[in-house]
Amino acid sequence: MTIVACAVLVIGIFVYIFYPQRNTEVQTQKTRLEFLRERKDSIYENLRDLNFEYRAGKYPEEDYVAQRAGLENEAAQIVAEIEFLESGFHAA
Amino acid sequence: MRQFSLQPGIRSVIRTWLQLSVACLLLIFTVGAGDTSARYNQLGHQMICTCGCNQVLLECNHVGCTVSTQMEGELHNALDRGDGNQLVLQNFVQKYGPTVLAAPPEAGFNLVAWIAPGIVFLLATLGTALLIRKWKLHTVPMPKEIAADPHTEAIRAKVRRETEL
Amino acid sequence: MAAFGSFAILLGLVLCAYNLVTGAIALRQIAVHPEASAAPERLAESARRAGIGSFVAMTAAAFALVYCAFTNDFSVSYVLHHSNRALPWPYKFAALWSGQEGSLLLWAWLLAAYGFVLRVRHKVDVKLTAYASTILAGIQVFFTLLLVFPAPPFALVQGAVPADGFGLNPLLQYPEMVIHPPMLYLGYVGFSVPFAFALGALMMRYPGEKWIHITRRWTMVTWLFLTCGIFLGAHWAYSVLGWGGYWGWDPVENASLMPWLTGTAFLHSVMMQEKRGMMKAWNVWLIFTTFMLSILGTLLTRSGLVSSVHAFAESSIGSWFWAFLIIVLSVCLFTYLLQRDHLQSEHKIESLVSRESSFLFNNLVLLAACFTILWGTLFPIISEYVEGSKVTVGPPFYNRVAVPIGIFLLFLTGIGPVLAWRSTSFKSVRRNFVWPTIAGVVTAIVLMAAGMRPWRDVGTLYSLMAFSLAALVTTAIGSEFWRGARVIQRHTGKNMLFSVMQLTRRNTRRYGGYLVHIGVVIVFIGLAGSAFNQSKEQEMGFHDSMTLGPYRLVCQSYTQDSNANYDSEYELLNVYKNNKFLLQMAPERRFYHASQQTETMVADHSTLQRDLYVVYEGRNPESNQPIIKVFINPLVAWIWIGVLVMAFGTLLALVPNLSAEQVARSRKPTEENLAFAAGVSH
Repeated sequence: MTIVACAVLVIGIFVYIFYPQRNTEVQTQKTRLEFLRERKDSIYENLRDLNFEYRAGKYPEEDYVAQRAGLENEAAQIVAEIEFLESGFHAA
Repeated sequence: MRQFSLQPGIRSVIRTWLQLSVACLLLIFTVGAGDTSARYNQLGHQMICTCGCNQVLLECNHVGCTVSTQMEGELHNALDRGDGNQLVLQNFVQKYGPTVLAAPPEAGFNLVAWIAPGIVFLLATLGTALLIRKWKLHTVPMPKEIAADPHTEAIRAKVRRETEL
Repeated sequence: MAAFGSFAILLGLVLCAYNLVTGAIALRQIAVHPEASAAPERLAESARRAGIGSFVAMTAAAFALVYCAFTNDFSVSYVLHHSNRALPWPYKFAALWSGQEGSLLLWAWLLAAYGFVLRVRHKVDVKLTAYASTILAGIQVFFTLLLVFPAPPFALVQGAVPADGFGLNPLLQYPEMVIHPPMLYLGYVGFSVPFAFALGALMMRYPGEKWIHITRRWTMVTWLFLTCGIFLGAHWAYSVLGWGGYWGWDPVENASLMPWLTGTAFLHSVMMQEKRGMMKAWNVWLIFTTFMLSILGTLLTRSGLVSSVHAFAESSIGSWFWAFLIIVLSVCLFTYLLQRDHLQSEHKIESLVSRESSFLFNNLVLLAACFTILWGTLFPIISEYVEGSKVTVGPPFYNRVAVPIGIFLLFLTGIGPVLAWRSTSFKSVRRNFVWPTIAGVVTAIVLMAAGMRPWRDVGTLYSLMAFSLAALVTTAIGSEFWRGARVIQRHTGKNMLFSVMQLTRRNTRRYGGYLVHIGVVIVFIGLAGSAFNQSKEQEMGFHDSMTLGPYRLVCQSYTQDSNANYDSEYELLNVYKNNKFLLQMAPERRFYHASQQTETMVADHSTLQRDLYVVYEGRNPESNQPIIKVFINPLVAWIWIGVLVMAFGTLLALVPNLSAEQVARSRKPTEENLAFAAGVSH
């Protein structure tokens, strides 16, 4: 009985492990574009936060304008690069 | 005139209150020190039961723990004899070894136990402050506007639109 | 069944070793030749599946042990020592984690279960998961090795098999004990996952901070488990041990608190990395430390290195843990030194008065607390080494050193949320802190007027500070909700309640986090109550009475009882509050047959104001009358309520945010909005 149970366990697991799979998930290297999109999302999130906190009264006007300008610059650079890369891929 | 006549009155009231409060404080402290059951409670919490249970002496609740019952009895006796706090603790240390004290004594090498957390905390605070200072010194102020090229401006406008509330 | 269990453990070992070795080879090949054929990919896939298989094997092993306990198979030494025939079935289940071998099996099984989830969800990021899975397999190999060599749970009894087992330690025969250890282990083990991800991300030089996003929920869930585990333990100690307290600064308790403190620090400082790309090296080391502390805690309690109420029997297992700890530290150090240029910060702190620096200080204080506890736990060993004699580092030490740190931490709980990211001007600091400060000061004044005398002793001073800080923090957090909701209200035109809900759903992590802070405040209120504990012990025969605080207890009867599992003695007490009958209480003392051990069953009448906690201490051998000890513990119930709030806040933080589209839909297109959008652009 014990031997049967052990055998079933081993065979089941080994079949599962080595059963040939057609389409295994491929480990892709993250592209620059993906990385930039993540960065963009994160900066967008920061900008939304900044807008919200400004309206909630956490920043004086001048701090807000300066910080928003800085974040928007960062975002603009990244969006520009994304647009460039995307157009490059389309051309190719 | 009335104000003038009142002032000494206020002063004496204040003086009386001050004297009263000093008396109260003295009373509180002397009563606290003289009260045997308070001292028993205080000393009983400064030692642990040596039966191996590692509990504070007065909180040892092992069934049939003869050790804590006996130690509590000794503590009672010592207080009834009128021993001072230091003497009581010394006698216990002599009988049961230094592990009977619930915290390391504040003398000799054991002082390190008390000082080290404070020193580490101070050093860490100092380190953090220096770190922030260093960072602040190395911060490049953010440019308020970049070159007004129309394409960048368009992207900025788009970013702004997309990050509205 | 025992043979099957042993076999399943061996199989589990083989599978995770395969996962570790093959996974590492495949990752190496892919890293060196990224354009190579599909062979390494297939190898990596088989490694992943072996990892999944190891979960199946460990599940089979855990099942086998529980099966042995349920079928009273006393030929298995572990079952013989931790169960008996008359034991109620939930405790037979709990026998799985009540001893050294069983709890290690539970640990290995939980690790495999976490690994299972991670490996099944590998599509989140195939490559990063492959790294994390391989690292996790390494940890699995260690724990499975423990089960094969020094602590085999299925070892058989030598000689004749006894007819009945020795029973479960009666201290553990309590409902919470069935869930406390698994919760705690879920917490300890859970930190392996963010650890594996962090180490993997560093090894592969993962670009960006997405790995934090992936592990965020893991970390929060783990933290929640650890929090619940710690407080369940405290509640168990309070309800079972019968000394009227819930925390004794025992090495085992400390061991669970240390990773909790660094884990809390990690949860906070990781936000700086996610939002601003800062503190990368720091965060990596925080999670490394948290993982190593959870191993160190286990090492301390299982090796007999420090003496503890909880300690397992001394065993050789300590050297295994030492070896593992050294290997982990070396791997972490090596990887860090090799890849440290990958951890450059993108931003720096811009202002001392900012959310960033408040996080920095929060981290500082949490780590200081962690160091203090570690120091106190290890000092007896250090002292023995230096002075040649052991000392005790008990509650008086921690109360004096750790409590001030805790109070400072409570203060930061309120400060942090009010500060803005990047920088907060002094003007807005002033504006945001006026009301909280007023609330704190008013509370202190009211309490002193009500009779609290902070100059009389330190305990009262601390609890006054805790109460007034609690008011400060609550007001600060309340105002955060209020101001945020006002913005939403202006935006959507809906009522306040809707706005608060919308606000929370827009950023669940932040507002859930604030709720956790409120929970912490409530816990602190409960802890502060301990400065006013009272107790009284008295022999209480028939119709004897005792008065403590507003309560008068009168003995109605005392008697004895017996069943298959235990004999019991108890006393029925009528409780009067201000001379009005309140309720009847029945403190009890049990003697368990199988284990020949005695155990108190505390009678506890808990209200928001105070607990009336009654213990049956035993009988006076001379008079044969019961001795009753009564405690009045103010505000204890707040601790457990606070933990529930903390748990709720964490669960809320786990809910996904409303998407930008969902937010946009609730927007009302008013002139104010349009004017705002136009106004700020100039």
